[in-house]
Amino acid sequence: MASRLKNQLLARVFTTFPSLAARWGKTLVRHEGEVPWVEPRLPLKKAVVAVVTTGGLHLATQPAFDMTDSNGDPSFREVPVDAPRQSLQITHDYYDHRDAEQDLNLIFPVERLKELEQAGALGKLHPVGYSIMGHIDGPLLPTLQDETAVEIARRLAAARVDYVLLVPA
Amino acid sequence: MTEKTPPPRALFMRFPFGHALGEVGKRAQQFDILLRAFRLLFEAEQPGTIRDSGLRWKRESYPEPDWEQFRSLAPVDRP
Repeated sequence: MASRLKNQLLARVFTTFPSLAARWGKTLVRHEGEVPWVEPRLPLKKAVVAVVTTGGLHLATQPAFDMTDSNGDPSFREVPVDAPRQSLQITHDYYDHRDAEQDLNLIFPVERLKELEQAGALGKLHPVGYSIMGHIDGPLLPTLQDETAVEIARRLAAARVDYVLLVPA
Repeated sequence: MTEKTPPPRALFMRFPFGHALGEVGKRAQQFDILLRAFRLLFEAEQPGTIRDSGLRWKRESYPEPDWEQFRSLAPVDRP
């Protein structure tokens, strides 16, 4: 519990002082490898768009992301875009999500994307969003890269989603 | 962090963690950011493109969303 409080306090410090977060970011190792790329083929108003967030969002009925492992939790949750606000919660000790809890659009902008759909500006919002908890490190990175990301991509491709908006927390 | 793990296209926001789409209840701001992100989807020319939004935290004013700007977003012709 003391470790979780420490992480939550550090998250508030990093959120309040972004320059500290930037300095920490410089210590990260660069991913070496091919960056995926596909040319867009459809206008936005004809496209199916899905949302993926790293904000640790999940249904209250789903297991919370594990905050006891300092390397994080590489699992994902499917989050219906029509889930009532009261059925959703955020479990993530590595960013200050008090504002996101007041307005989930900050990390999971489905209300705004639905407005775009209603205005005829977006073809369709895919009914299932995906959430991971973005603090994943060390031995769990291969799990994220080789299992979690692959499975999310497989499900989105099977659902014939055209574009994915990845929102980092 | 984005430079270390580049996605196909990224809109860089100089906003605090947990505020990728901006501030609580600021609808116009959130749509402005989405417009910039979707524009980048169609305008980026190579993998790993990172575009700095140029937006400053709590120092900008945002117009009401223009649906026609969103409706016009489409693949661009490239030579």
